[in-house]
Amino acid sequence: MENDLQAIVAQAETILKTVSSRADWEQAKATILGPNGSLTQAAKGIGQLTKEERPAFGQALNQAKKKVEGFFKTSNESIEAQADLASLGEKADPSLPSVPSHLGGTHPLTNVRRRVVSIFRKIGFTVAEATEVETEWFCFDALNTPDDHPARDEQDTLFFPPNSTWANITQKAKEAHVLRTHTSSVQIRTLFKEKPPLRIIAPGRCFRRDTVDATHSANFHQTEGLYVDKNVTVKDLKAVLDYFLKELFGDKLETRLRPSFFPFTEPSFEVDLKAPNLGKLSNKWIEIMGCGMVDPEVLKLVNLDPEEWSGFAFGLGIERVAMILHGIDDIRHFYQNDQRFLSQFSNAT
Amino acid sequence: MKISLDWLSAYIDLPDNPDDLIDVLPMLGIEVEAGEEQSSRNLDHVVVGEILSKVPHPEADRLSVCAVEVGGEKPANIVCGATNFQPGDHVPVALPGAKLPGGFKIKKSKLRGVPSEGMMCSAKELEIGTDDQGLLILPDNPKVGTPIEQLLSEDKVLELEITANRGDCLSYLGVAREISAYYQRKYNTPKVADLGIKHEECPDGHFLNSVSIESKDCSRYGAWSIQGVSIAPSPDWLKARLESVGLRPINNVVDITNFVLLETGQPLHAFDASKIKGKTIQIRQAKENESITTLDDVKRKLDPSMMVIADGETPLVVAGIMGSVDAEVNTTTTDLVLESAWFRPGSIRHTARKLGLHTDSSQRFSRDVDPQGLEYAAQRAIDLILEIAGGKCLPEYVCKGSAPRGERKIEITQAYAERICGFEIQPEQLSSAWKRLGFLVEGNDPWHVIVPSFRSEVERPIDLVEEFLRIHGTKDLQDTPVVCPSTSRENDGTYEVCQKATDNLVGQGYQEACNYSLRSGEEINSWHPSFDTNSLSLLNPLTSDHTHVRASLLPGLVDNLAHNQKNLNDLTRVFETGRIFRPGPRGNVEWISIAFASFSEPNSRQWKTQAKLDFFGIKNQFLSVLHAMGLSLPKGDWENLSKSAPWQSDYSAKIGDCHRNKLEASIGILDLQLTKKKEAKGPVFAVEILIDPILLSKRKKAVTFTRFSSFPPAIKDLALVVQGDTPAESVRSDLEQIAISVGSDQFEVDPVTIFDLFQGQGMEAGQKSVACSMRFRALDRTLSEKEVNQAFDTILQKIDQDTPYELRT
Repeated sequence: MENDLQAIVAQAETILKTVSSRADWEQAKATILGPNGSLTQAAKGIGQLTKEERPAFGQALNQAKKKVEGFFKTSNESIEAQADLASLGEKADPSLPSVPSHLGGTHPLTNVRRRVVSIFRKIGFTVAEATEVETEWFCFDALNTPDDHPARDEQDTLFFPPNSTWANITQKAKEAHVLRTHTSSVQIRTLFKEKPPLRIIAPGRCFRRDTVDATHSANFHQTEGLYVDKNVTVKDLKAVLDYFLKELFGDKLETRLRPSFFPFTEPSFEVDLKAPNLGKLSNKWIEIMGCGMVDPEVLKLVNLDPEEWSGFAFGLGIERVAMILHGIDDIRHFYQNDQRFLSQFSNAT
Repeated sequence: MKISLDWLSAYIDLPDNPDDLIDVLPMLGIEVEAGEEQSSRNLDHVVVGEILSKVPHPEADRLSVCAVEVGGEKPANIVCGATNFQPGDHVPVALPGAKLPGGFKIKKSKLRGVPSEGMMCSAKELEIGTDDQGLLILPDNPKVGTPIEQLLSEDKVLELEITANRGDCLSYLGVAREISAYYQRKYNTPKVADLGIKHEECPDGHFLNSVSIESKDCSRYGAWSIQGVSIAPSPDWLKARLESVGLRPINNVVDITNFVLLETGQPLHAFDASKIKGKTIQIRQAKENESITTLDDVKRKLDPSMMVIADGETPLVVAGIMGSVDAEVNTTTTDLVLESAWFRPGSIRHTARKLGLHTDSSQRFSRDVDPQGLEYAAQRAIDLILEIAGGKCLPEYVCKGSAPRGERKIEITQAYAERICGFEIQPEQLSSAWKRLGFLVEGNDPWHVIVPSFRSEVERPIDLVEEFLRIHGTKDLQDTPVVCPSTSRENDGTYEVCQKATDNLVGQGYQEACNYSLRSGEEINSWHPSFDTNSLSLLNPLTSDHTHVRASLLPGLVDNLAHNQKNLNDLTRVFETGRIFRPGPRGNVEWISIAFASFSEPNSRQWKTQAKLDFFGIKNQFLSVLHAMGLSLPKGDWENLSKSAPWQSDYSAKIGDCHRNKLEASIGILDLQLTKKKEAKGPVFAVEILIDPILLSKRKKAVTFTRFSSFPPAIKDLALVVQGDTPAESVRSDLEQIAISVGSDQFEVDPVTIFDLFQGQGMEAGQKSVACSMRFRALDRTLSEKEVNQAFDTILQKIDQDTPYELRT
């Protein structure tokens, strides 16, 4: 009888060698462990044994059963492993291109804006936004540029018709709505809403009534900055802008403040920079941004006492910075959205 | 403004290397545009020639044949058509090989049978002046054979950009003052004869009987009488001055007024006295329907917002801008009335803008001329007129009104200057800067600084600080550390939400695009036919394709997809974030929009096929970006969009309403006709999210934790037969409501999910089967089969009673 058991164990081992599918395995299992299987049958033989023979046989039977079940378990695992492997399909040729191949990416103007915002964030400036549709008062008058001010000539402003109404753009009186010509209007909106000390950076879209060419665009982007606190000085202005420009263009950078004029700052400056790593523009003075100390009149217009508060403001063109940084020669590239252009900068954060 | 350095040197000694000014002026606040290099003109082979002899051409009456010494082996034989020269004159000669600025090449040739070895040139032919009436006779007999370039290169013309606040610099004397302040050397104001005697009313012998100021926009008006002038071309030196800055000489009197305008910045106007009807001058607003034909021969309609200088009958000058042809000084003029006045800058600017007529005169008046400089400028012009055009001036003149501003005294302290500048300043640094600018400085901390009348914009202590910095410079401010106390402010929510959307969409394989906010009315009409397009229109658009502000980012994105498809670029997913503008019940609104668009397939063939993008793919992308932005779906149901441009009926849906919920989203396929019109091939899947900025100004509440069961769930599936047009979501949510009510306080129900949808064989036409899976869990135990079955039976009963759905068996 015990020999029979050994034969059955051997039989199981043999059969399983030829088993390659789950179905074969099930069948093999039935042959040995099923109700009519050889081991089940052999187990039934216990009834014919004497009481003394039974424990030994029982022990042998258990051992045989354990062995056989072990074989089946191992076999099952290997069949499953093979099936798992088969489900993976063809082996991969890693040199083939990805499908789909959408890389995605940010626009170069976003990259520059994010860099600017992140540099200023490090020195405590946070983003403030206001609307692109503005009113004449917020865009000009509040910035010390009354209607007959010469500076207003230079702003070729896009107006909305006198009868147009805007539900979510507040007016001072009944003045006309315009598309903002600069982000400087965010200074005013923010100073009305929040109290100093205040340090904001205001990136956004602006509009001028300009003919589109290589350097002019119907809309463009600026970043305004504003710092109002007690005892803010020209020295602080220079320090902040030097820090910013060095972070943006590299340490080997010279800057200078060149006197200029903006109605809402006094004194006013253009900031020039000279850097060795700007391609064709290397090592010569190039104008990069405008700045100045907030004019006392502007502070008064937003109900701040200029004897108590002072501040500086600055503005730079995002397109201009992007063009200088990347050596782009035509502003229209930014608005054509050709993949061959965009993909060059899509991960150039 | 063009400035000739040669002319400028008449008022101040320039640095040895005049190019230094290109670096110095900008640091004073005067930008120098790329210096107009005279030598950029190619005048090779054009030399000084001396005319030795002149004989008539044997075959042509109008031509002469000249022998011209040009420094070669023998004189050149040149045929010439001009008549304004004599033997002995020195003229520019273009020799064979020269190429004149107009492109004309000089070769040896024959003219009517006579050989000609070059060409004698006029100023215009060389583009060094505007005179084309004859040869340019070179003054001072320069050496024969000298390249003409060498004679010209002495003068350099700079294009200066004067900021709007510095009207006083729109003149040679103004620029000389700035240079004088920088180099600390004196500048020289031309001496003039004693000013005449001023009268409030017209004195006897004056060509005018009355001058009346009837406009509030004129503060001072002076008129001088000059008798017996001879109008003729200006002398060469005067012509050369004007031509050097691109002005066309006209006649001596007009040229002198232009010269003095450029020299002093005070515009003057010379009238032919005989053409002033009624011997009267009125400074008044134009009348309704009045018109004037200005010197540029354009008839212009005037209106009462414009100020004119009129005689007893008609306007003679658009005040401060341009005169009329009717009172023009011309060759028949013998008697002059010379005007020198101060007009309100805003008024002149307004009129010049309205008429689209910007002149040297209007430019200066609108930048505020020196109200105390009227007499000096007039006397300077009178001196020149008497010298050049003869005649005599009545010493008594009329001048009405008073100067709107004069000198000002400003008090300032050292502490104030230091408070603004942020660095230590020596007292003498301050006072010396102001003195260099020609200001009078009295006292010592506080100083009383007296600012002359020509500096209109220096009125306050802060302006004096600016003047100090302009002269002192900010070179000391190097390597200053940033002092930045912390601020407690966060980025605005409106900014952050777009950044989050951007990051998510880039992660989903979308490329950011950037499109113009200005669109055509036609596009808005076809994409949003339900909008009142007019309400989004601009008053003064520049071009016909930029007449309206955008109502949506989608048209631009479709342009981008089509552009890249056309160019075989592998870009089929684009997005943009930005501001859009919509009409609304209480007026227009400006909202934030995040939109993205995608073709369903790549633009080029791929080695491996993949499933096309479909509605549910784009829906998933939408939910992903919304989630990343930290927003939840607005309340309400998805609404099928049907006949709702720009969306394709039955393949698009909308949720929320931005006017009501401050948030809305539309997703699906864009109208096939619209996208086809933009030449996009294939359906465009798109998502448009609209956000009212006010939504983002609220602080979000903290999320409260909800306990969940740690016991295994019991799962029950069922399929319901419903009408084909019933939204699957309402079936699902009805079932979920029932399940929750049945579970009540005994167990909880996970969100019910749809796992199968079936229509067709075995179903009645117009019906579909929605299969849902429910999971029940109790917080405290494993649910028994009995209670689950009991609950399930109750659910089936309720479906039967409360819903039109039938259990699919």
